[in-house]
Amino acid sequence: MHTVGFLVNPVAGMGGAVGLKGTDGLVAEAIRRGAQPRAPRRAEETARLLRGLPARFLTSAGPMGEEVLIRAGIGDYEVVYTPPGRETGPDDTKATCRAFLERGVELILFCGGDGTARDIYSVVGDSIPLLGIPAGVKMYSGVFAVTPAAAAEILRQGWGAGRTLHCQDAEVVDVDEEAYRQGTLSTRIFGIARTPYRPGFSQLSKQVFEDPDEERAKKEIARFLREVMEGTPDILYILGPGGTTAAIAGELGIKKTILGFDAVKAGRLEGLDLNEGDIRALLGHHPRARLVVSILGAQGAVLGRGTQQISPSVIRTIGKDNIIVVATPHKLAKTPFVFIDTGDRELDREFGEFITVVTGYRVARRVRVAGSGEPHGSP
Amino acid sequence: MQTKILLDEDHMPRRWYNILADLPSPLDPPLHPATGKPLVPDDLRPIFPMELIRQEMSDRKFIDIPADVQDVLRLWRPSPLFRAYRLEKYLKTPARIYYKYEGVSPPGSHKPNTAVPQAYYNMKEGIERIATETGAGQWGSALAFATQIFGLACTIYMVRSSYAQKPYRKSMMQVWGAECIPSPSTKTKAGKAVLEKDPETTGSLGIAISEAVEDAVTHSNTNYSLGSVLNHVCLHQTVIGQECREQLAAVDEYPDVVIGCVGGGSNFAGISFPFAGDKLKGTHRDIDIIAVEPASCPTLTKGLYTYDFGDVAGLTPLLKMFTLGHDFVPPSIHAGGLRYHGDSPIVSRLVHDGVMRAISYHQTEVFDAAQVFARTEGIIVAPEASHAVKAAIDQAARCRESGEEKTILFNCSGHGNFDMSAYDAYYAGQLVDYEYPDQLIRESLARIPKVGGHD
Repeated sequence: MHTVGFLVNPVAGMGGAVGLKGTDGLVAEAIRRGAQPRAPRRAEETARLLRGLPARFLTSAGPMGEEVLIRAGIGDYEVVYTPPGRETGPDDTKATCRAFLERGVELILFCGGDGTARDIYSVVGDSIPLLGIPAGVKMYSGVFAVTPAAAAEILRQGWGAGRTLHCQDAEVVDVDEEAYRQGTLSTRIFGIARTPYRPGFSQLSKQVFEDPDEERAKKEIARFLREVMEGTPDILYILGPGGTTAAIAGELGIKKTILGFDAVKAGRLEGLDLNEGDIRALLGHHPRARLVVSILGAQGAVLGRGTQQISPSVIRTIGKDNIIVVATPHKLAKTPFVFIDTGDRELDREFGEFITVVTGYRVARRVRVAGSGEPHGSP
Repeated sequence: MQTKILLDEDHMPRRWYNILADLPSPLDPPLHPATGKPLVPDDLRPIFPMELIRQEMSDRKFIDIPADVQDVLRLWRPSPLFRAYRLEKYLKTPARIYYKYEGVSPPGSHKPNTAVPQAYYNMKEGIERIATETGAGQWGSALAFATQIFGLACTIYMVRSSYAQKPYRKSMMQVWGAECIPSPSTKTKAGKAVLEKDPETTGSLGIAISEAVEDAVTHSNTNYSLGSVLNHVCLHQTVIGQECREQLAAVDEYPDVVIGCVGGGSNFAGISFPFAGDKLKGTHRDIDIIAVEPASCPTLTKGLYTYDFGDVAGLTPLLKMFTLGHDFVPPSIHAGGLRYHGDSPIVSRLVHDGVMRAISYHQTEVFDAAQVFARTEGIIVAPEASHAVKAAIDQAARCRESGEEKTILFNCSGHGNFDMSAYDAYYAGQLVDYEYPDQLIRESLARIPKVGGHD
């Protein structure tokens, strides 16, 4: 029997319908504009499809889960937290998650948007997988299933007889809602969560076999890059944020910061969590340097978005041919093309139509670069 | 306007052409993996019949094709040579494009050209069963067809991921009476060891080879058989090029360009060796012979010319060839038959000596070419053959620019009727264009000590 933490942010997505591009701090305004809750309906759609699954649900009282489960016809649940009133907020989300952790749930199924994902992640981190039922205004985080039905399908598949639930890394992205309302997409990675996914969900993996295990793919990339780095002890390597670059550091026996830029040379750590100034200083001492970055965010950014430490002039100093892009096939399946947004459109263009992305042990792919600077996710 | 150039059955070649006899110096010999010394025939006896070992090491220029083998080859040979008028018109090229079509054989590719004689010699020497491996299933189905004709049992270790993905190749093997086992299996020690470590493994050609060899070595009535790379396999395929030369002569042609796709090198050897022989002898010095390989597994274009093992485990003799390293596992492209880290030692030598040259293409562009070919000439080619199609189209397009009226010949080595899922992926925009990061790989190898100094 599986134990699932089930959580609904009842106000998620309310701002979108009334043109608020997000609901953070604007629930009252959204309601005044006539917004209707949509998250409970979306969550119910998923929950109905989970009836009969060998799972027990732990949830929050009232609109944060219990009511949805009752409407969906799921009787086997237990309330672990009761919000003080009908109006709920981030504190209730976090309190529920703390209760989930205490009770040892193996996965949190939640319904909301990027803000909800961020609140949950701030409590549970990557200790248990998160799976989002999409209901928010913005869903740049990689923890969301494509549709409510897809979320149910991932669990049904993963917990079916003789099956394994496969997990992969997914960025939890923090979007500056104020800037977003002004028309600028400014994202930063808040953290790297674990999320289940269904191998074979895309046509690609039906036809060309990919290893369903992303962890193994990361290790393969890391093994290759370790050998490259050992073969070039005179080169300074700057490792960017993300789970794949962390795996490379792990392979070298070095602990890197998950969200920062760290420098390594000849197997030795040269600096942690570097800012632009630190990187410039290092480049002054080390004439030969390479930058190792992964594809970030659900939108497929290679540079830019969450990597502001790497300014256009830093990239020019390092040289675009000394940038090694790494990504697991799993990540690329979600982001079939990538975009480069260094902040300098001329520089973006120099990367050309394709970039080479290392995807495994001695394996790379040619990946098309989308029109530079334009996000292609659907806000 | 003659579209099909056909030869009568009595013009089918009666001898195989052995290009080793025309090389300016002998090929570097295969080395014993344990001693590092050149192989002697006895080293190969546990897995191959004596006649094939003789052919592997022969320096005779022509080797007679046994009458019983000719009888079987006549089921589809001589194969047709086509003039690709419709493709030429589509490309608006002054070049004349000819293609040899090996898809007319019962298994649908060039593979039975060697499967039949291999089964025959094993039968003659009292062998009762042959074990082999297959990736995408072309070789397995060809050997199933051939062994059944000569009354031999056949066990085929098929890479597990293909076994699930290409169910019809497996069905063909069953129709021809062969036993097809997903590899890794519990039948061999090698298979069990892999399964214990990783029950969910997808398998690989390297593992399947190890299983088939182990099966042959541990059963006295059983031999092993290989569908490419080795000299005797290339030898058997030379019927293709010999027929082409005669068919082209019938329309007063001789090729300026000869093209074939390369995995282990056998279909390319088949079409090109007779012409490469002409080049070595100096009768046609200017002929351009082009080996086409996938960019994801660019053995001839980015590999090293050195001694390496033929399999992942390092059990086979060391062969002097272009190699990406025997531990390189090529990515899962749809042209499964081109996923090999090494290459035929003869093809390697000829590329190294500049008698031939090699180019590479990405998956998506070869499928673009295959679609053009299917919509002009009608044949839906195998993903492997689409590499040759792409190179022929590029050569013809160059003639359009230069105005040259070149004669282009390529080997259309098999049909793609069992590869429709690959075409589905192409139309769904899901083909992955793999790259071989050669500079990084060279750097990664810098710290690894050279094995035995065979360079």
